Amino acid sequence: MESSVEHEWKKGSAELLILSLVEDQPRHGYDIGKLIERRSEGKLHFHVASLYPLLYRLENRGWIQGRWVEKPNQRRRRYYRLTGQGQKVLAQQRRSWRQFVDAVGRVTGVEHV
Amino acid sequence: MSKWTAAIRKRLEGLKIPPEREAEIIDELASHLQDRYEELTAEGATAEEAYRRSIEEVNYTDLLEELPATVRMGPGPTIPAGAAKSGSFFADLIIDLRYAARMLRKTPGFTAVAALTLALGIGANTAVFTIIDTLLLNPLPVEKISELVALNSTQAKKTEQSGDLQGISYLNFKDVRDRSHAFSSLAADTNPLAITMVATAEPHRVFMEVVTGNYFETLGIHPCLGRFFLPSEDTTPGTAPVVVLGYAAWQGRFGGDPNILGRTIKLNNTPFTIIGVGPKGFKGLYAVFGPDLWVPSMMAEQVLPAGQGKALSDRSIAVFNGVGRLAPGVTLPHAQAEAAIVATSLEKEYPDSNQGKAIMLRPLREAAYGPERQPLRFGGGLLMAIVGFVLLIACSNVANLLLARASARRQEIAVRLALGAGRGRLIRQLLTESVLLGLLGGILGFLMGYGGSRLLWSLRPAEFALNLAELRMNGSVFVFALVAAILTGLIFGIVPALRSSRTSVSEVLKEETRSAGASRSRVSLANTLLAAQVAVSLVLLVVAALFLRSIQREYTIDPGFETKRLALFMLYPGQAGYDRTRTEEFYKQARERIATVPGISSLTWASNMPLWERKDTGVVIEGQEQRRKSEEVSAVVNTVDLDYFSTLGIRFVEGRDFTLEDGDISTPVAIINDTMAATYWPKQDPIGKRLQLPNGKKFLQIVGVVKTTNYQTLGEPPQSCLYIPLRQNYSDSMVLYVRTERDPSTIFPAVQGEIRNLDSALPVEDMRTGTKIIEQALWGAKIGVGLLGVFGLLALGLAAVGLYGIMAYSVNQRRREIGVRMALGAGQGSVSLLVLRQGMTVVLSGMAIGVLLALLLGRVLARFLYGVSGGDLVSLGTAALVLLGVAFVACYLPARSASRVDPLVALRQS
Repeated sequence: MESSVEHEWKKGSAELLILSLVEDQPRHGYDIGKLIERRSEGKLHFHVASLYPLLYRLENRGWIQGRWVEKPNQRRRRYYRLTGQGQKVLAQQRRSWRQFVDAVGRVTGVEHV
Repeated sequence: MSKWTAAIRKRLEGLKIPPEREAEIIDELASHLQDRYEELTAEGATAEEAYRRSIEEVNYTDLLEELPATVRMGPGPTIPAGAAKSGSFFADLIIDLRYAARMLRKTPGFTAVAALTLALGIGANTAVFTIIDTLLLNPLPVEKISELVALNSTQAKKTEQSGDLQGISYLNFKDVRDRSHAFSSLAADTNPLAITMVATAEPHRVFMEVVTGNYFETLGIHPCLGRFFLPSEDTTPGTAPVVVLGYAAWQGRFGGDPNILGRTIKLNNTPFTIIGVGPKGFKGLYAVFGPDLWVPSMMAEQVLPAGQGKALSDRSIAVFNGVGRLAPGVTLPHAQAEAAIVATSLEKEYPDSNQGKAIMLRPLREAAYGPERQPLRFGGGLLMAIVGFVLLIACSNVANLLLARASARRQEIAVRLALGAGRGRLIRQLLTESVLLGLLGGILGFLMGYGGSRLLWSLRPAEFALNLAELRMNGSVFVFALVAAILTGLIFGIVPALRSSRTSVSEVLKEETRSAGASRSRVSLANTLLAAQVAVSLVLLVVAALFLRSIQREYTIDPGFETKRLALFMLYPGQAGYDRTRTEEFYKQARERIATVPGISSLTWASNMPLWERKDTGVVIEGQEQRRKSEEVSAVVNTVDLDYFSTLGIRFVEGRDFTLEDGDISTPVAIINDTMAATYWPKQDPIGKRLQLPNGKKFLQIVGVVKTTNYQTLGEPPQSCLYIPLRQNYSDSMVLYVRTERDPSTIFPAVQGEIRNLDSALPVEDMRTGTKIIEQALWGAKIGVGLLGVFGLLALGLAAVGLYGIMAYSVNQRRREIGVRMALGAGQGSVSLLVLRQGMTVVLSGMAIGVLLALLLGRVLARFLYGVSGGDLVSLGTAALVLLGVAFVACYLPARSASRVDPLVALRQS
């Protein structure tokens, strides 16, 4: 079993990733998973078994909201969009993340770009 | 789509979520798999392959585990932002425990110091609680002690002198038993009495209690071996020569011989058969001092000392104490009311022996201590309070350590908050850590307490070890330690946990590790805790000092008789089967022979041991007989031989000593002390006046008045005492007093030898020097003072460690500031002073509070102190100086290290 810090670490960054991806437009789960993989050039990969539970959690907290949408010539899909509260959380998490990476950088001497 | 739906539904069977939600989730997952399928076919996979891969890429086991939690949480913003992953309570607990254990392992130094600090606190508490539990909470291992009551007789009209509880005679006891209905069973026992036991060859002095046949049954206890007394052994005087051994005596004196039953031993020269062994831990109903064996009441005449031999048939010989089990539904007041009616009728029927006597019932739990109850309760309460404070100091120390560590962990905590850990969850995690630490300290403390209480108990006087209460480490002690540990963990953990979890994520992450500003408030909290520690330590030190000074004074008390060159030998010739003539001959011969031992300057016989003297109620003073109706005269009565006063160095105020002329046929005489003279013959010459002993037939003429000495305790208020000559008053057991020219213990063997030469059947085991008597009288107080001292120093040590820790931490925090100051020209001295001033301000404010508290407490304690006032300046001053000194050192060391800060290094670090 992984330690609770590691667990929260991964989970925390995953939250940040998801919130960022739905910031500018609503996206469905498959799209989100694909985007993470593509933009991280395959370094980050989300399994179905962790992606959807996480989406539901974020939804429960009121940070994102899911809605079934049927677009022309497309299948019915569930799209997630960022809520007002989600925007605040995202802003705060971005800030914390930045500072955290800075702090780690200063401690470890690894400079970030 | 439907192909996916069915496949997923099959794989997620047993998912415990509402069906609507389940359907929705399955729809969404199906949509996902369809997307994946389309992607794979677009990449050129065959339909079968794409289908298989899409389905198999999903880890359904994880999904089954994860999904319910996301649903159970419920929607809406009521969940605090960043709420934790919430598994079940126990799963979280296990995670927390593992994490806590890892954190504690990671900082072994911190863990060791904290656990040890707590262990000292919890250990002290456990040790004291063990003793209190043994002595006060569960004094007697009997069945349902709450139903048992002690029955004694007392004066109907209480006066200052005669309010004491007295025994009840066997006949009165029998009448009460026959006439009252309040008891389901009523038994009686005597106090432990010295008796001579011959088991093999050597005679030994042991203690026995004479008890009625239903004694053990009334108490609801069962023999560990053999049986107790039968009803048939409780009917005819002299016909039941059987005896029950106590467990400790069986182990200690008979080596736990399993074949002990049926063996014959001689008690006071009468053969008795051992029929049983009492249960382990049971030592009679007098919780402080218990007997070695029990003899049935029908054998009273054979074993009781001369003068009490007719205890079964004489209503005026009141040597028994009643103990009864209340019948179901009967309350103590009800039983008391009934006993009052019986007492009134007994008073009418037997006015000679029962006039003015009432019957008094008390819960057995209260009666179990006799006169020692008050000091024991007071001492126990005081000690418990003190160790409670020691534990609080330990708690606040560990809280301070945790606070200091919390600032080191701010980053960790902030990261966890940033990553979505909820505040409640964090507090729980931190509390788990502190409770784990508390438990660790608790285990260590329990062991320390166990060792400590054993050690303490081993300090009891060895000669009575078999007869004194045994320490019991039972379940309640364990529960106590456990509860103390958990509470401790919560107490010292809650504030740091609350504070840590309030950490503002962005501030901390922005903040650089060494910045001092944000830790100001935690330093001020630490300061408050420190000041409180200093105050409590000071109070404890002052209390210890007060009692130390008090006991020092007690050692210098002049008991009124010689102690340094005095040797005492307790002898019971009556118990060796001597008749009166032979006993008197023995007293005479022994005097003559022992007087020839070199180094002895004088010797005498007396019935009482110094400071263990018996008080009798019912002295009649000629011309003041009417007192008998309202209040009885009580006085210490001591039967003494010639030269008693010169041997003990007690001065005559007037009149003469006993002489050879004061024999059987001459006028009965007595000598009284000046207290008695002043009380009963104020402004008169008592010489020639007459008085009568309790139950005495003749009047005694007063021939002399001597100085008052201490009779029962050191430094007691003056008591009346009356001496009667041995030659006119036979006693079958006496104490030989020998005044020596050098160290009294050197003549022990010679005196022992002379007595053996006279009769080898007489045990001479009990020999003491006068100094030893004083030591024994002060034993309890000494132990108490020792404990107070130990706990006082423990508190001081803990407070000093706490002070040092906080000062060192604060210097470390302010390193940069100090660097700047020094760079700007502050000298080493002024930097030291800065730090020192900061520390000593806290110490002095704590001391100011401590002095106030100590003065207040001193007022309460004043009546337990001897020759020292509660506000004793010497105690207060010494304690304050010691504390100040220790505190100064604890502050000085960090101050010195502050002055050695290299400004260049300190500034470069930032």
